[in-house]
Amino acid sequence: MGTHQEPFEFHASLTELGPGLETLHDSVRMLRVAIGRANDDHALMLFETALGEIGANVLTHGRPNDDIEVDYILRSDGAAAFASFVDRGPAVADHLARPMPDQDREAGRGLAIARSVLDELGYMRQGEVNTWRLVKRL
Amino acid sequence: MVAPTGRLDVAGAPALKDAITGLVNDGPPRVVIDMEGISFVDSTGLGSVIAALKQIRSSQGELRLAAPNQQVRVVLELTTLDRVFPYYATVEEALTGF
Repeated sequence: MGTHQEPFEFHASLTELGPGLETLHDSVRMLRVAIGRANDDHALMLFETALGEIGANVLTHGRPNDDIEVDYILRSDGAAAFASFVDRGPAVADHLARPMPDQDREAGRGLAIARSVLDELGYMRQGEVNTWRLVKRL
Repeated sequence: MVAPTGRLDVAGAPALKDAITGLVNDGPPRVVIDMEGISFVDSTGLGSVIAALKQIRSSQGELRLAAPNQQVRVVLELTTLDRVFPYYATVEEALTGF
């Protein structure tokens, strides 16, 4: 008989960069506890790496003014982690397939890192709204 | 030696840049970044390490990384920057022959 895993769900409205990133890392800590994973769980570490990259991106570019929030949701059924961000920044579709830059470049690796560690990185533009979806099997 | 702590990310990277600039201003630097206290690195944090390497090399110095945790090592390998920054398991190893 298997053990029953309660679904985990976390919602937040993110504003400033520093506190926003803190909230993202806190949410992964809460997920780790909720689903009983170790501090050095490899899949969760990769998920958190991608979450930090996409989160920094949307918090930096997704708020055209200080009154606009980024909506963040983290869910898990214990078998996978699902995160979404909804922001109101410019469209970024042109950057999604950007390859890993050369080793001497100081910037431009974030999306490539996220793509390489996730099972799914979804992006959709509807009107003036960007929706990001991150999926990692645990 | 520089020993940053916490997350080396878009919020934490400027402090590392400032610390390296201070060392470079004191003459040709041989710098070990002790990463034991770094809990998490992102692409902006990596960018600050690349900037540090350029700054140090342009001053005829040398940079070594010591004691990165599992997340830092994985990100270095994903980005192939482990070929640019050979890292050492401990500070003592990084200082050997330096």
